[in-house]
Amino acid sequence: MSFWSSLAIVVTVAAITYAMRACVIVGLAGRTIPVSVERSLRNVGPAVLAALAVNLAAGGEGGLHLEPEVAAALVAAGAVAWWRRSVIWSLSSGMAVLWLVAAIG
Amino acid sequence: MRAGVDQRAIADVTPLFLPAIPFGFVLGLAMRESAMPTTVAWATSPLLFAGAAQLAVVTLAGTATVWAVIVAGLVINTRHVMYSAALAPVFQQQPRWVRWVGSFVLIDQVFALAAMRADLPPHEFRRYYLTAGFFFYLNWQWSTALGLVVGPAVPESWRLEYAPPIMFVALVLIGIRRVPQGVAAFVGGVVGLATAGLPDRLGILAGAVAGVAAGTVAEYAAERPAGSAA
Repeated sequence: MSFWSSLAIVVTVAAITYAMRACVIVGLAGRTIPVSVERSLRNVGPAVLAALAVNLAAGGEGGLHLEPEVAAALVAAGAVAWWRRSVIWSLSSGMAVLWLVAAIG
Repeated sequence: MRAGVDQRAIADVTPLFLPAIPFGFVLGLAMRESAMPTTVAWATSPLLFAGAAQLAVVTLAGTATVWAVIVAGLVINTRHVMYSAALAPVFQQQPRWVRWVGSFVLIDQVFALAAMRADLPPHEFRRYYLTAGFFFYLNWQWSTALGLVVGPAVPESWRLEYAPPIMFVALVLIGIRRVPQGVAAFVGGVVGLATAGLPDRLGILAGAVAGVAAGTVAEYAAERPAGSAA
């Protein structure tokens, strides 16, 4: 990927992200966004991150392809995240399961 | 300058920053692997300053169209609109420059702290917020650079290319507070998996749209019995 198209991506995402952070604080101080919009925004994070996780794990140029050790790692990481509420515990358990299942299989 | 630093903010933000160090490290590794030139990939840290979106952008670059990468990064960050709305009343009592500068460091952790300390007197809140925000900002820069520098020494057999999806799974499950969010994540994941074979990573958008729609339906379904009881 070329320098300029990469930079264009980074600058665009950065500028619009800043706008999203500043929009109400700077622009609409005193007003609030409708409750229904705020509720939908709460669902965006979980939905897109879940779709992103499985896409990175199973998607790509070759089409749908999910290795068993990767599937096991994602399930383990999810379970530990739910249980411990910690990214570092979840990440280490997921990687440990990935290596373990790959070694066994 | 030391007089301007709020010790309470440092004490509050440090335990939130420490768990972010491994995230920054893995992000640094992903920057090294990215199809983007390494310097541009790293520039997401000072310019974008949003871990999950940075990880998505540097990982997806080169595997999807430019627009798909931009949309993925932005959709992840839409939650910041919610933070902005939630803090707007607190920032109303601040000078204009604090609203502009403060918005720049409004990430998940800083939002959580600011919401917790929203009842501080305005001048104390200002010091608290800016200290916490920029403490996180400055430390984020070296923690991502660390992964970038150490990255080449990590053997391929560690399969750290799977660290980003694992981390996203962790972020999803830690972030779920209510049932509709769980529904959104589940449907987003299932539809995302079913469409993972689509070109240009279109499956991410498909999963996200389906997940948000399902979460909204769940929202109304959960509300109806409560509404009729009231």
